Amino acid sequence: MSDLPKDKSQKREKGKAPSEGSHGVRGKKTPGRTKDSISTTSCIDELGHHEDNTRITMENTYQLGPLKRFPVSAVTDILKDVLTSYLQEEKYEVEWSQKMTKTICEVIRARVKDLMIPRYKTVVLVHIGQRTSQSMQISSRCLWDATNDTFTSYSLRTALCLVWQLSTLFTLSESRRQ
Amino acid sequence: MTGMEEYQNGSEGAFNSEETDGIVKECIENVVAGDDYSQGQVNKWTASIVERCLTQLVKQGKPYKYIVTCAVMQKTGAGLHTANSCYWDTAMDGSCTVRWENRTMYCVVSVFAVAIA
Repeated sequence: MSDLPKDKSQKREKGKAPSEGSHGVRGKKTPGRTKDSISTTSCIDELGHHEDNTRITMENTYQLGPLKRFPVSAVTDILKDVLTSYLQEEKYEVEWSQKMTKTICEVIRARVKDLMIPRYKTVVLVHIGQRTSQSMQISSRCLWDATNDTFTSYSLRTALCLVWQLSTLFTLSESRRQ
Repeated sequence: MTGMEEYQNGSEGAFNSEETDGIVKECIENVVAGDDYSQGQVNKWTASIVERCLTQLVKQGKPYKYIVTCAVMQKTGAGLHTANSCYWDTAMDGSCTVRWENRTMYCVVSVFAVAIA
């Protein structure tokens, strides 16, 4: 008979420890969560030294190149479209040509930008020349990443338009740790 | 950690167009100085100029991708206009255009440098 009250007192003591920790939770009136709250409070009490490392640090992730390659045919179509619309039936004139080269350049760049291909930089080069039976040669070389970077060109009579698309590399997805 | 700092400071910021200007002029003069325009040779000249420029630029060892264009045109009084427009990072990337001429031809070389990382 004497054992019963001892058991009861022991039970009460056991019952006290978790109940002290879970007072706050009970105050929130979430009876369904009492089991979970009891387990978390007990963890914090036992492993108090983890307070310094509560923020989880992730390793840096890198994206080495663009996810989607540049659509070369779409750009060629843009070049064809712009050159034919601006230079249709036009004769060479000094001031008009000066303005035209800049305008065509900017229009092409804006349209290529509108394609919204991420992780690419673009360089557009336009030459307009006068046809007077002279000879001309244009060459170019590039040092780039052959898997991702592309080049297209289109010429119409004496207007030559070259467009390079270069992929960007190495954007850290997280800021560097110091 | 000091090793890391040195690497980060070694990029030197933007593209140095004056230095590139000098390199390109030297390359052009080494190839076509003193020659007259020749239809048969012009292909070789343009290829040679761009390759030399590219090699010299790469020797600098900077973290850039390069595009080098060379236009050689015979002097007959005809007009030529060239323009470029670029969509890039204006802080790190840059370009340099060099115009050179002699008695019989014009040579226009453009270098575009796009930074990696």
